[in-house]
Amino acid sequence: MAAASSCGSESNEANSKWLDAHYDPMANLYTFSSCIALADLHGDGEYKLVVGDLGMAGHTMKLKVYRGTGLASESTLLDLPSAVSTFLMDQNEPRTPAVAVASGPFVYVYKNLRPYFKFTLPPLDANPLEQDVWEQAKEDMIDPLTLKEMLEGIREKAEIPLSVRSVRFLAQDVPEMENFVNLHKGQPIKRQTVITCMSTLKKNMADEDAVSCLVIGTESADVLILDPEAFTILAKMTLPSVPAFLDVMGQFDVEYRVTVACRDGSIYILRRESKRPKYCIKLSAQPVGLVRVHKNIVAGCSDETLQGYTQKGKKLWTVYLPAPLMTMSLLDQKSRGFQAVMVGLANQVVHMYRDKNLVDVIRTQDVVTSICFGRYGREDNTLIMTTKGGGLIIKILKRTAVFEEKDTSLGPPVAQSIRLSVPKKTRLYVDQTLRERENAVAMHRVFQMDLYRLRLMAARAYVKALESSLAPVTSTLQEPLKMNAVVQGIGPTFKLTLHIQNTSAGRPSINLLVSFLYDQSLYAMKRAFFKAPMLIPGLNYPIETFVECLSDKGISDVIKVFVLREGQSIPLLTAHINMPVSEGLAAA
Amino acid sequence: MGLEMEPLLQAWSYFRRRKFQLCADLCSQLLEKCPGYQEPDSEFTVSQAAWSLKTRALTEMVYVDEIDIDQEGIAEMMLDENAIAQVARPGTSLKLPGTSQGGGPSPAIRPVTQSGRPVTGFVRPSTQSGRPGTMEQAIRTPRTAHTARPITSASGRYIRLGTASMLTNPEGPFLNLSRLNLAKYAQKPKLAKALFEYIFHHENDVKNALDLAALATEHAQYKDWWWKVQIGKCYYRLGLYREAEKQFKSALKQQDMVDTILYLAKVYFRLDQPLTALHVFKQGLARFPGEVTLLCGIARIYEEMNNISLAAEYYREVLKQDNTHVEAIACIGSNHFYSDQPEIALRFYRRLLQMGVYNCQLFNNLGLCCFYAQQYDMTLTSLERALSLAENEEEAADVWYNLGHVAVGIGDLNLAYQCFKLTLANNNDHAEAYNNLAVLEIRRGHIEQARALLQTASSLAPHMYEPHFNFAALSDQVGDLQRSFIAAQKSKEAFPGHVDTQQLIKQLKQHFAML
Repeated sequence: MAAASSCGSESNEANSKWLDAHYDPMANLYTFSSCIALADLHGDGEYKLVVGDLGMAGHTMKLKVYRGTGLASESTLLDLPSAVSTFLMDQNEPRTPAVAVASGPFVYVYKNLRPYFKFTLPPLDANPLEQDVWEQAKEDMIDPLTLKEMLEGIREKAEIPLSVRSVRFLAQDVPEMENFVNLHKGQPIKRQTVITCMSTLKKNMADEDAVSCLVIGTESADVLILDPEAFTILAKMTLPSVPAFLDVMGQFDVEYRVTVACRDGSIYILRRESKRPKYCIKLSAQPVGLVRVHKNIVAGCSDETLQGYTQKGKKLWTVYLPAPLMTMSLLDQKSRGFQAVMVGLANQVVHMYRDKNLVDVIRTQDVVTSICFGRYGREDNTLIMTTKGGGLIIKILKRTAVFEEKDTSLGPPVAQSIRLSVPKKTRLYVDQTLRERENAVAMHRVFQMDLYRLRLMAARAYVKALESSLAPVTSTLQEPLKMNAVVQGIGPTFKLTLHIQNTSAGRPSINLLVSFLYDQSLYAMKRAFFKAPMLIPGLNYPIETFVECLSDKGISDVIKVFVLREGQSIPLLTAHINMPVSEGLAAA
Repeated sequence: MGLEMEPLLQAWSYFRRRKFQLCADLCSQLLEKCPGYQEPDSEFTVSQAAWSLKTRALTEMVYVDEIDIDQEGIAEMMLDENAIAQVARPGTSLKLPGTSQGGGPSPAIRPVTQSGRPVTGFVRPSTQSGRPGTMEQAIRTPRTAHTARPITSASGRYIRLGTASMLTNPEGPFLNLSRLNLAKYAQKPKLAKALFEYIFHHENDVKNALDLAALATEHAQYKDWWWKVQIGKCYYRLGLYREAEKQFKSALKQQDMVDTILYLAKVYFRLDQPLTALHVFKQGLARFPGEVTLLCGIARIYEEMNNISLAAEYYREVLKQDNTHVEAIACIGSNHFYSDQPEIALRFYRRLLQMGVYNCQLFNNLGLCCFYAQQYDMTLTSLERALSLAENEEEAADVWYNLGHVAVGIGDLNLAYQCFKLTLANNNDHAEAYNNLAVLEIRRGHIEQARALLQTASSLAPHMYEPHFNFAALSDQVGDLQRSFIAAQKSKEAFPGHVDTQQLIKQLKQHFAML
């Protein structure tokens, strides 16, 4: 496939570093970077693509193997895969790697694409209280309702969380509880955890084709290292939080280093013989991806940043990305010893960063959700991406392509060259300023006098408005209210909506009345006087009434709305509604 | 008076002097004397003349220039079957207000209408309304019920004019349309034209008018352009724009008329083809160079398309031909005002004053121009006069609102508060005043009141970005990040280029991403 690959027509630009080898928008691959791996599965020197397909809506999960552009085999998975790895288990010839699929509490190991072994995580200790309770239930000493109460009590107090069975039991409806208890009370209580991430670690040699151990991160915040042949637990380390992304370097028997990005927004670095993390990096936001470039750690965060750290946790740089990060992976061009970080962004672009410098940009047809770079088929530098819509993109790095190690986006910022359109000061303006300068005193006096008059006028009008409560907003401290009215419709029936709101800090308004004043020969209203509901502060109460226009002469009038307090004749609020002309009747 | 005038001549004289009621009364007397009251026969020439004169007088009473009336009904706005492309290319449609190419001012400087266009300096039909996006918006009565109201298809204004004349004729209508023999009248061209105008303008019965016009044009062997224009007008009223276009084009072939060109452009305008309308106008200008109505039409279209600079250029052209054109002066004035040259705007408004325009709006504008051009001695006097000239509460509210702005400008927040409150007392739906009042309440520390006021403002005028932004900033201040984000998104929708909103959103996003 490699040499004969036809170039895509779309982005076949001369300066692009990539050849478009294959694009299938209908490949139906829904997966993430952790569930995708490249390996020479049959030992024939032709590398295959192994994908743990998450399927659609939680069913049709499959383990798919691609050869060239076509699907070579697929086998059904029982549960959603959380990670897929390939590793060599033994020294036997031919050297065919096994595929490990982590799913729920199990690791399924496939050899020659046939199920070979199933590893189950050791069960966790169940809560003794919970065990006692179920024991009693088994002997029918307590009825399901008592059982429910006791389990709820345990759930609230105990340090060890309940088992899955108890949690499911508590979620049942009362009539179904009896059946549930009868069905399950026979089995002993088990508490199982699940795998969140998985990686591999060379056993005792650094060679490409050396035997590797599996490294597993679990929901119970542990990191386990498994023996490649016997699948026994070689080492167990505990973390302060649940691991989300794993990266491992070194050899198990010599010295190794496990870098774990956890759900508490921290990266922990573990070393051989240490039960606790050695270093801790506090990120600014939740990690979205973790990649190790040579010895540095690059973490992508949900605040649209990419951050570089040394292996001792010292911060080196931060790059601000143009869009939220979807996935990230390592680009390792072994022939040139070049390593970079590939970042799939939500704006359908894949960026490649060498340290903090952007070295290349690929535009994709859809949002990329998983990226993998490596040997595929017989071609060394192949980029494999799957998209949000289930598409599969395969690109090949041109053999002549060289990544320049400097930033491609150079030059001054765009804003620097935009000219501000500041209007010129006109001659007229200058003349007027002259007048201002000459008659400054007179102008000031006139203005001040006018201002005093205006203040007086405004104060008079304001007092008048306050006295007759004309304003739609009250400012009294006892009843801070606000009202506005909206008329809808084209007539002859209009819908009148009053929005009344109590704007006080914490006191509800009660005993309010709403009354309308209108010309009875023009309008008819079903309820012209009614009681407003209790007004909770801060909420908007839309009160709807219907007004019917009785005239067909195309005349309109003002309707006045009053909000009154019970026992007082002076309204709190008044609104004047200018009714529109009724057109429905006139047009008929 | 010893000498009595011949009654028909007197009626004619009344008509010439635009005393239509007297003319109509006199004609009625004449017709009552004649036996052929409803059916003017060829023998009774006097009665025929009186009949014709009366129809014309009655028409003139309610006559409104058809070119300048343009009111879109709810049905036309919401159920526009001529709409083809939902997303038109920028610069080819009037429905996309955001496509400003001529360097239109940003909404931060020049306020916008509900449809997102900068406000014009002159209120004319259909400029202020815009097309509402939703049915909810369409059926809601905007705050100035007399300028920008979507109306039903059988247009309120036409109906009102017709019924108003019915009120004055208590014994019933002058002509009973259902009893007229239209075919007979169609054969008498002189009578038919008067009758057509009567049916079209006074009775507002477009269907009968169309029947008459169709018969008449057949009688004229399709050679009379006048009838074609009338048929086009009828089709336009009925919403058959393509048919109207055909009639106007055919009429233009026979006879070049400015009126016909204006009608044709109006059809294209309604079909949302501003570029074609511009083309028609420009062709018309080649035929009638310097015609003011054509120039003005071009300027209006440019203004609707947000191309303010070109619009101003054409308005200037209008002023060269007719230096008392109120619309052009007002538009150029407001354009200068909003491009930070109030002193020039002042000149234009003074010119309007000299021409005898004497109303609340003009003094309001003069006051504002004086204030911003630093001519403080004239400011308050003008605004005070505007207040005293205010004809209704809405106008008074606008003046109070501007007084509030002046008060904010001189730092008298107490006065500003009172002014904005008075604005609301005069006009309960003044969204800008709600917004400004809310800002003053925030300064006083009344967070709850401010929040309520801002909510009202944003529900009254969802097209304004200010209340959304203020609400977002306020919510951000009190720590309600969720609401702040939602409001900031709305503000961004109303004014995508607003830097403060963008910054706020960025800041909020950082907050959300933070641990």
